[in-house]
Amino acid sequence: MDPSEVDFLSEKQHVKILPNFKEGRIFLISGDLGPFEPGLTAEVPLWMAVNLKQRKKCRIIPPDWMNIGQLEERKDEEKEREYFTEMPSKSYLELASLLLKSARDDIPHADEVQTLIKDIWEIRMAKLRKSINIMMQEKETHARLDNLTHLEINSIRPFLTSALDRMHILRCNVVENPSTGTDY
Amino acid sequence: MADDSLYGSLQVRPSGWDYFELDDILACQEKIPCTFETQVKDLGFLDHGSDSEHIEPATKMELPFWLAKELCARQRKIISVELPKVYREAYRQILEADATAVDLNKLGPYFYSVGGKLLEFGNAENPRIAETLMMTYMKRMRRLMDLSLNKLDGSKESQTLLPKLDHDEHNVFAFSQEGLREFEQWKQGVISKLTSSKTVINQRKRKRTEDN
Repeated sequence: MDPSEVDFLSEKQHVKILPNFKEGRIFLISGDLGPFEPGLTAEVPLWMAVNLKQRKKCRIIPPDWMNIGQLEERKDEEKEREYFTEMPSKSYLELASLLLKSARDDIPHADEVQTLIKDIWEIRMAKLRKSINIMMQEKETHARLDNLTHLEINSIRPFLTSALDRMHILRCNVVENPSTGTDY
Repeated sequence: MADDSLYGSLQVRPSGWDYFELDDILACQEKIPCTFETQVKDLGFLDHGSDSEHIEPATKMELPFWLAKELCARQRKIISVELPKVYREAYRQILEADATAVDLNKLGPYFYSVGGKLLEFGNAENPRIAETLMMTYMKRMRRLMDLSLNKLDGSKESQTLLPKLDHDEHNVFAFSQEGLREFEQWKQGVISKLTSSKTVINQRKRKRTEDN
């Protein structure tokens, strides 16, 4: 899967906006949206929020977790814990990068938020690599990694699937030729 | 090994001989040292060293794997197969000492797959060979993973590592670099822009034919 496809899927999640126009209910396949009143918050899918923002028809209200205090807390927790912590959103990186690109003025302290998100991503990727390495060295057949996000899984997939395929063949070789115990 | 039984139940092995896989076909061409057990008439010209008309018993020759496999079949044992030296004890000890330092491409570009195929000859050292192949792969994977997932090609380290990779490892490397490249492009926002396809750029403008 392409990162842009993961990105596309993440645009389905809802965010809150503050519209500055008046509009009735909109009927879409995924559900009804609206009605929109100026100054009243409404929930719309991300793709729509970005589109409205680009036409200067709304302000996007960033999710609660997208502020320095919360992100720093999460970063510290991520650093301390051996396992992956649960992320506020299954697609935090996609959401953050899209919002930071198109609605930077709506996010307080955007630069710091960007750095924090990047740090969290990097800590998690390092953790992911470490656990894969352990899994390989211990000759495990499977590993349980909870709380991984889509993009994280996607970024490791090409390596992991191809490497493990070959490893499996080599392992079958070992199983098919069991040592009798006397020859070494 | 304690996990033998687990693997036994998991085995969905690609039967070892994937007929149309190009890499597999190429791997089958690797030469293996063989000794003739019987006389083969009128094929003496294959052995450049001798002038005789026939291949005599005890002639040593390097044959590709696909030929050796057929000639060594149980019903007609025309040749006996020896282990190529890179799979013998001396090399196994080198690989066990430090697998990451070895230039596998030099030992045979298809080190792992040929090694796996050699097991078919039922050599007494089979368990050792299989074990060494797996350990080598596992030890080398760590470095391969770090390099292929960290930086895009061009870094000095990967330039020194790449020529030392076995063909299989090379594929893994290329595959994961491709994933990383896509991710980097996504991060920079290049991927969402439409670009014209390479074939269109390369294609020359169509010329008008004379009748229109």
